[in-house]
Amino acid sequence: MRQIQRLLEEQIYIADAAIATALYLSMALGKPLLIEGPAGVGKTEIAKSLAKALDTKLIRLQCYEGLDATTALYEWNYPKQLLHLKLEETSAASEAEKEAAIFGEAFLLKRPLLQAITEHERAPVLLIDEIDRSDEEFEAFLLEVLSDFQVTIPEIGTITATHRPHVILTSNRSRDLSDALRRRCLYHWIDYPSLDKELEIVRAKVPQIGPELSRRVAQVMQATRSMSLSKIPGVAETLDWANALVALNATEMDEEIMAETIGCFLKDETDIATFKGELPRINAD
Amino acid sequence: MLGLESLVGFCRTLREHGLSVTPAEVVTAAAALQIIDTKDRDEVFLSLRNILTTSVDDFPIFESLFATFWSGLPKKLVQSEGSRIRRTAPARATGVAFFLENWPTSQSVNVRGASETESGAERDFSAFSNEELEEISRIARRIVRRLARKRSRRWRPVKCGSRVNLRRSLRLSLKTGGELIDLAYKERRPKRTKLVVICDVSGSMDSYSRLLLQFVYGLQNSFAKVESFVFATSLSRITGELKNRTYQRALDRLSANVRGWSGGTRIGASLATFNAQWLRRIDKQTVVIILSDGWDTGEPEQLAQALAQLRQRAGRLIWLNPLLGSSTYQPITRGMQAAMPFINVFAPAHDLASLRALEPHLVL
Repeated sequence: MRQIQRLLEEQIYIADAAIATALYLSMALGKPLLIEGPAGVGKTEIAKSLAKALDTKLIRLQCYEGLDATTALYEWNYPKQLLHLKLEETSAASEAEKEAAIFGEAFLLKRPLLQAITEHERAPVLLIDEIDRSDEEFEAFLLEVLSDFQVTIPEIGTITATHRPHVILTSNRSRDLSDALRRRCLYHWIDYPSLDKELEIVRAKVPQIGPELSRRVAQVMQATRSMSLSKIPGVAETLDWANALVALNATEMDEEIMAETIGCFLKDETDIATFKGELPRINAD
Repeated sequence: MLGLESLVGFCRTLREHGLSVTPAEVVTAAAALQIIDTKDRDEVFLSLRNILTTSVDDFPIFESLFATFWSGLPKKLVQSEGSRIRRTAPARATGVAFFLENWPTSQSVNVRGASETESGAERDFSAFSNEELEEISRIARRIVRRLARKRSRRWRPVKCGSRVNLRRSLRLSLKTGGELIDLAYKERRPKRTKLVVICDVSGSMDSYSRLLLQFVYGLQNSFAKVESFVFATSLSRITGELKNRTYQRALDRLSANVRGWSGGTRIGASLATFNAQWLRRIDKQTVVIILSDGWDTGEPEQLAQALAQLRQRAGRLIWLNPLLGSSTYQPITRGMQAAMPFINVFAPAHDLASLRALEPHLVL
């Protein structure tokens, strides 16, 4: 467990014990890990860092409304099949041979899920991102694949995973996931980081930033999250802002530089107005 | 070694407190205990929480039960208490939020139409506690999802879909010499039903406003075209205020921006204001919902005129009256009498079942 934490930290991911435990159990028990939390707290980043730490492939399936099996699992490359048949039209091969030829692996388009199952060298990290954006039907389909990591393609047969992929699912809670899916997975919740953790993240990811400025950035972000905003900035925004400040060669925070860079972490007109209204209070703290 | 029996006992306790722990999860937990350091409280806590909970909503109850469970174990097993786990106290509600949260429930006795039944889904809103708030949001979300999923009969071409657009595919095949290579697809056009909710928050509605606002909040935050308004003596648009991540926050913003809560009622004047400002946004794809008990201190003629205008433009006009839940209630108030001819659906909204029953009416 400590090893995982260390490995992640090598990938500049500040992992706490909770994340390390979740990842350890997920790998040791071979269960998918469902990570929930508000947008921009680094859910996706966990999978990326894990793949890098394990030195394995990251296969990512971005979910969206209307995602279906053909885009997630596999599809036959029918233009290629058609062309192949066209070329073979004059050949002496029998119909059965022709059919066998066009349903070979060469004509199979592997989508993320099939890719993850057929990965030969070592178990990949399969990231199923924003599962809450997919439809309920897709969720049910996913359950089937995740339960035994095998896929049946009628023309070829059943393909079973040689190495069980490490599966990480993320969700922003934009809709309720089914209980069945939740039970299959280990569950982990990531919240916005505390001041100290955020400071640590900023310093690790944007090393050029000075200690004073980074503390100020973290403080302002913490205060911002307590305001009543329509879109609360995540860690990604904090890092954008820190990077912007570095790019502008800022050494300390003043009103002017804050006004120039406010767009890095507030992306809504009314939010900016709210923020400006509360600014004196923040500065006083 | 943490005994299997105590683990099973713990899972039972969790179940008794409403967490759904399946046997499969118990097996997983037992397997997990084999591979972690069972003397380390934090490690056991985090691992079991990973396995036995399925949502962040379960965390507080899990934390408190785990604390009891762990302290009940034989002391020699416990090496160190580890870091204390913080439990955040719920923030104090302020403003309207405070008002809404602290309504004396006994008030419902004075309200006409408060139902006599006590238990189950038929229980009156006015007697509802916080647990049901989530259920109300769920109903709202389901309604909105159903609205969004409704398909029109018309087709539209799409990049990928389940139905092949034959006409387009043939046209495309011309560029490859008549060989069908690129397929074009089509799907049913989604129907764009819009919702406008106008909620009465005057004094006579007090015991229902809290729950109905929760319903409106749920509708507002479920990815559909929803506009919401409240009125007592004058109309306020609250779409922006309600668009907030938490209900609490939405209430805070409402209390800061909206005046005239629990005042008198001027339905006619409020609807006239609505018509003057918003009528052009209403079309046949719009369902207008008015949540009110129909006690009006204004002129019924004004109400009738406003509703007539609204009826003409809207796809459907629904009036939800919480008082209708009572069997003895008759819509005989002057306001209600004036309104009746223009309403498509006149339905109760006093309990969860009535909100659920609303679903089919909203689909045009």
